[in-house]
Amino acid sequence: MIQVTNTVKRFGGFAALDGVSLRVPAGSVYGLVGPNGAGKSTLIRCLTGIYRQDEGELAIDGQPIWENEALKARIAAIADDWYYFPQASIRDMCRFYRGFYPHFSMERYEKLKEVFQIDEKRTLRRLSKGMQKQAAFWLTLSAMPDCLILDEPVDGLDPVMRRQVWSLVLGDVSQRGTTVLVSSHNLRELEDVCDHVGILDHGKVLLERSLAQLQDNMVKLQVVFKDGGGVPGDLEVLHASAVGRIHTLIMRMSAEEATHRLAVYEPMLVDAVPLTLEEIFIYELGGADYAVKDIVL
Amino acid sequence: MPSKTSYFNPALFRKNLARFWPLWGGASALGALAPLYLLAALIEEGFFYTAGQPLEATIGYYSILAYIVPIVSLFYAALCALAVWSYLYNARSVGMLHSLPITRKGLFVTSLLSGLCMMLIPYAVTGALTVLVSLLAGIFEPAGLLVTILGVLGESLFYFSAATLIVFITGNPFAFAAFYFIFHFIAAGMEWLVSELMTEFYLGVSQAYTGVAEFLSPTVFLLRKLEVFAEYQQITTPGGWIENGGIQSVTLVNGWLIAVYALVGVVLLAGAWALYRRRRSESAGDVVAVGWMKPVFRYGVALCAALTGGTLLYALFAQASYHVTARPVPFAVCMAIAGIVGYYIASMLLAKSLKVFRGSGKGALATLLASAALCFVIAADPFGVEDYVPGAGELTDAAVRIGSPYGRSLYASTSDPAMIEKLLDLHQAIVAEKDQLKSRKQPWENAFYVDLSYWTPGDHVGRYYTLPVSGESEAARLAMALAADPDTQENNLFRNVTPSDSNDIIASRLTGGTAGVYNTETRQREDIDLTMEQANALEAAVRRDIQAGRLGRTMFLTDYEEYSRSVYDGELYLHYNLTYHRENPDERNSSGSTRDTGSRSVYFSISIYCTETLNALEDMGVLDNTHRLLTQAEQEAMTEYTDLGSSGGYYGEYYGYAGTAYPDPGAAF
Repeated sequence: MIQVTNTVKRFGGFAALDGVSLRVPAGSVYGLVGPNGAGKSTLIRCLTGIYRQDEGELAIDGQPIWENEALKARIAAIADDWYYFPQASIRDMCRFYRGFYPHFSMERYEKLKEVFQIDEKRTLRRLSKGMQKQAAFWLTLSAMPDCLILDEPVDGLDPVMRRQVWSLVLGDVSQRGTTVLVSSHNLRELEDVCDHVGILDHGKVLLERSLAQLQDNMVKLQVVFKDGGGVPGDLEVLHASAVGRIHTLIMRMSAEEATHRLAVYEPMLVDAVPLTLEEIFIYELGGADYAVKDIVL
Repeated sequence: MPSKTSYFNPALFRKNLARFWPLWGGASALGALAPLYLLAALIEEGFFYTAGQPLEATIGYYSILAYIVPIVSLFYAALCALAVWSYLYNARSVGMLHSLPITRKGLFVTSLLSGLCMMLIPYAVTGALTVLVSLLAGIFEPAGLLVTILGVLGESLFYFSAATLIVFITGNPFAFAAFYFIFHFIAAGMEWLVSELMTEFYLGVSQAYTGVAEFLSPTVFLLRKLEVFAEYQQITTPGGWIENGGIQSVTLVNGWLIAVYALVGVVLLAGAWALYRRRRSESAGDVVAVGWMKPVFRYGVALCAALTGGTLLYALFAQASYHVTARPVPFAVCMAIAGIVGYYIASMLLAKSLKVFRGSGKGALATLLASAALCFVIAADPFGVEDYVPGAGELTDAAVRIGSPYGRSLYASTSDPAMIEKLLDLHQAIVAEKDQLKSRKQPWENAFYVDLSYWTPGDHVGRYYTLPVSGESEAARLAMALAADPDTQENNLFRNVTPSDSNDIIASRLTGGTAGVYNTETRQREDIDLTMEQANALEAAVRRDIQAGRLGRTMFLTDYEEYSRSVYDGELYLHYNLTYHRENPDERNSSGSTRDTGSRSVYFSISIYCTETLNALEDMGVLDNTHRLLTQAEQEAMTEYTDLGSSGGYYGEYYGYAGTAYPDPGAAF
């Protein structure tokens, strides 16, 4: 279990993390989402022991991460800009990683060779960005981590390889109970793999729930009011739009409660539609002054 | 679960050595050239028969340790440190290394050891090959080798530690290079800058650098202090001279300094570790990576800018008006301007932005005030440098050079207390008149210079003054009297060919001379060789002219017409064979003998007033109706009509003739 408590990280006078608290249950896949500059990468660098937080605590399974060699031997990370030595091949990096990760499995490394099908003797520098990302997964998964931290992990991978990579990660989650924290802007993809989501904005966690709770807490309704009337002023909606007589309302409550509240206005039609993670992200951040602007150029 | 911590990671160690093998491999290959050269030289000389003694090898080891290893290590340590710690300068690489399951301590120790290995491998390769060659040649000497190995270890440790510390202070390789060399030379450099400023303000002080802070500039200090001293067996020859036999012992003078620097290296490493464990990964790319060092950098740059830029600015604007010494107020303004420029440049480098002006008022004001205050403090001469006149009892030797308005000069050096007293009186008189000398608003029409030098055991003080030929100056009167003094004149001309303890000459024999005259028939300059007898007669005549005060009579003539009509253009040479007795082993010849021989010439010009010399030249037939000495006025008149291009190589020819000797500075009186 990853536990982040009131963590603050400042760069100069700017607080990239401003009291972040979140909890990633053991064996879960946790999607960390948020706009650019929200502090996702900073949080990941704190979790991997690269940055030291100025305040607060970061722990995995109750142990602090900073300078904890034994704990870090169970954590593997793939950074957005994964680093390899300039002249190194995958094989060289394999030898290097083996020197650090005590559970590094050569057996798995050999098995994954068939999945990724990259010449392990080729210099990494000469591989495409997507192939480098595959190499990162190859090595990281061979390290047999209990905790996997991924920052924009599938950027640059083709759709087939994305599916392949997620399949491997989720296989580890189900078979070995690996805990995964993944930061991504690809919400459609996260929706398929995550069971928990945290939304980070301005260095703070806006909300953190299981995906099911999140989807239960917000509802999209298509409503047609009597006599072609508009949305009543006393109705609490996060967002409202209309196409002809059909109004689309986003409300922060369960579908049952929303239907119950609308019943007062005797609408001609009420239809509840589940929200996608992307919609939840947009409307939650809309409340945090991050609404999609209608820009006319 | 208990934390497991390892202080050394073999994978990282191997990776470091493997990644940077071109660096240590190339250095090893370059180092291997030295023993190979030695081997080739020994083969050339047939080393199995003619190789020297083992202690000769020790001289070689120590010489490398004292004069080569500090310079090589200065540069090579920087490269090694930069290689093993380079990951700190890149956000991606620092992220990877710091996310690995290894503590900062483990990273530090492993990288440190791999860097030290890279430092030492080339020395080990070079040393091993040298030992092999020494063994083959039978000149292997283990004690000297052990000292050298320890010395190399000590110097390598110091330089690598220093480079490591600087790596942790900075955040990119360019800043590292700048800080590294600043670290090594800042102390000497700052003292030089301050001393240069002192020379601007203090009358007569042309060199105020003392080297007192050089111990903080390790390379400079080691190169100055480490010496190799070989003691030879003394053999007395049948003629009574002492010559060197075999080498008795070889000493690395001040070798203990290496141990001190090695200890300093350990302290620097401790400091480096303290910085590393606090270093933030996000400082990759910054100019200064340590928070508390940022103001030090900012104000340090401002100080250096104030000293250098202020001096340059003042030199630029000082052209507008004449002043003997710098004026404090305009100089302070220049220093303040330069200091503020330096302050903002440093701020921009630290912020990696040009937008540093907002909120910087207090810092800029502090820089302005500090720069100006520094200028006024130095100008006020708190240490009394300008007024300092050494006590006679402190001095072992003293010398004076006095220049004439028309570019001629005389030089006299002495250890005679009476003569030293005269020089000190002159110096004291100049200091007493310093306010008048500094207050003049334009250059004197006719001036001459006085350059005083004093030596105390282990130290040297120099002063340079310009004095008026005419006027009320007591100092100028004393200087001109000193120049006219027959003792000074004799000292100037014959000092280096007269036997004395100070020049090690025990016998001097005049062997001949040369007179440069003008042949009125060929209309060419001609050199006439003088026999030993003629040279003796010429020397005696010159000495009589000196005693009568005739040789220096034209030195302070202010009317150029009169000067050029009085002084002859041709020069006279006297050649001497000299025998030296060298007590100091460092000054002996290649065989180390206390006996040494050489030759030296003195040359001089005369004036129309040197009647004894002129008569002697006429008596010996050097001067007659055909061969004449031309005055400078005559020579200049001739030059207008005659192509005297062939005389263009005149001085070069005679300097070349002097050969192994040192031509005495010319004198024309």
